[in-house]
Amino acid sequence: MTKPLPLFRRAFVDSWRSTLGWAAGLAATIFLYLPLYPSIGGSPEMQEVMKAFPPEMIKALNYDQITSGPGYTQATMFGLIGFLLMTIASVAWGAAAVGGDEESGQLELTLAHGVTRTQVVLERALAILVRVLLLAGLVSVLILLLNDSAELDIRPENLLGTSVLFAGLTMLSGTTALCAGTVTGRNTFGLAAGAAVGVLGYVFNAVGRQSRDVEWLLDFSPYNWAYGNNPVANGADWASVAWLWGLSAALVALSALALSRRDVGT
Amino acid sequence: MPPDTGTTTSQAIAVRSLTKKFGRREVLHAVSFGIEKGSVFGVIGPNGAGKTTVMRCLLDIIRPTAGTALVLGQDPRHAGPELRRRIGYLPGELFLEGRVTGRTLLAHYADISGPVRPGRIDALAERLGLDLDRNIRKLSKGNKQKLGLVQAFMHDPELLVLDEPTSGLDPLVQQEFLAMVREAQANGQTVFLSSHVLSEIQQAADQVAILRDGRIITVATVDSLREGAVRHLRLAATGISAADAGALLARVPGVGQLEVLPAGDGVELTATLGGAIQPLLQALASLQLTELVLEEPDLEESVLALYGTIRSNGNGGGAGSAGAGRRRRKGRGA
Repeated sequence: MTKPLPLFRRAFVDSWRSTLGWAAGLAATIFLYLPLYPSIGGSPEMQEVMKAFPPEMIKALNYDQITSGPGYTQATMFGLIGFLLMTIASVAWGAAAVGGDEESGQLELTLAHGVTRTQVVLERALAILVRVLLLAGLVSVLILLLNDSAELDIRPENLLGTSVLFAGLTMLSGTTALCAGTVTGRNTFGLAAGAAVGVLGYVFNAVGRQSRDVEWLLDFSPYNWAYGNNPVANGADWASVAWLWGLSAALVALSALALSRRDVGT
Repeated sequence: MPPDTGTTTSQAIAVRSLTKKFGRREVLHAVSFGIEKGSVFGVIGPNGAGKTTVMRCLLDIIRPTAGTALVLGQDPRHAGPELRRRIGYLPGELFLEGRVTGRTLLAHYADISGPVRPGRIDALAERLGLDLDRNIRKLSKGNKQKLGLVQAFMHDPELLVLDEPTSGLDPLVQQEFLAMVREAQANGQTVFLSSHVLSEIQQAADQVAILRDGRIITVATVDSLREGAVRHLRLAATGISAADAGALLARVPGVGQLEVLPAGDGVELTATLGGAIQPLLQALASLQLTELVLEEPDLEESVLALYGTIRSNGNGGGAGSAGAGRRRRKGRGA
């Protein structure tokens, strides 16, 4: 009689406009960036220009591979614009899911109904997951569509693996935001924590790649866990996949535990 | 509807020594009270007295530091969602957001609460004058409150817990709400509601608990509150001196605040009466009265006396209350 996953359905349906907006943004950047590959990354002139840049900057932007199709896609889409957009979306959803809902005063009424707190966290985390997977799926499909015309020369299995890493990396920021928001009951703390994981991961990667002395920073960079081996060119490291998604799952479990153990709305 | 497990009493709510601390601040100090099944029970108190905290404990939104609460015979802390399906709850501060219509939102709450009879939502919305097809972001505070009420009543729960239910409602809708409460009671449902204004509750409730600073000051029936309440007396009489009239009235038990003014060949007199009426009538029988007004007891005033002299909520309840327009003497000692 009762329909399954009521909280998931509400969270998902309520946000379809925002999901659509992020999808449009990601699609637009893909159509802007990738068709330019033959005239930027692939052109001999550009390779001369690249030599003029300081090598530190090239490394920081992950542009050292930009002269190949997979490297270009890695650096521009998965590593920069796509990473940025998806992280923002995922963090915003994660922080709002419980912390933001509590802060706005709506969580109290939901919890007064026939739901458990664990169920609230799990179904809302599922809603974030589905949206992240949809967007990551859209990104891979669009890249695959442009693969030939933009002369990217990406192997589909590598694209799939990178998309799983891409989703896992941005999901990690989202589940961090979910967890911090749930523990504190504040949207802002969720946003700050989620953004910190994204930004620090990026910065640790950029700095860690500069010299052997600071290489240890890479160990603390989720960004590097996902993209350290240039997965668009070389295929996904499935241990990294498991590690990223496992951390996300642990953060969701921690969120459920935290919400179950505390007062709400105080 | 799940069976009423584990209930050995006729009480829908039984609260014993309920204590709640937020950090070091204790906001509920060993509150105890019981609510009979099928009754309407009101709790009044100034803002910050702990009304909302008690209600949130009953719904397991917050957890008591000490003491116990039994709701429909079960401990809300461990009874799980099945218990909450049998309760309709209206939060004191209702926030409804999202780009959905009232109808969609109610369908969602119906999904996560008890089953709702077909047509029930529309019937309630019509009674309250609520347009269900408007986007909830565009609803006024009063209309959101109506949506909250529909949400609480729609699955005909065994227990209704309503925190400041009439807040933001205009007087006509308040009357409709009171009718809904009476129907719920006739239907065997138990209603637990709060207000910071007695007049809202005295029409609906059988019993009233007065809560102040996290303590129950008293639990009384509305009738007994009325009996204990102070009436205002005003009279004019001829052929008697101010001193004699004053002495006569002062002998009547329960008379206070006596003020006598000479007027022509008689007196004008005002006083309050805190006791029975009969002795007063006997004393008045000897007077040549030209005017006599004995007002209905002002419950608001007797409750304010129970609150003591500290009134954290200003005069918020005055305007719409039963005693509006009267001369008000506030804050006398109990």
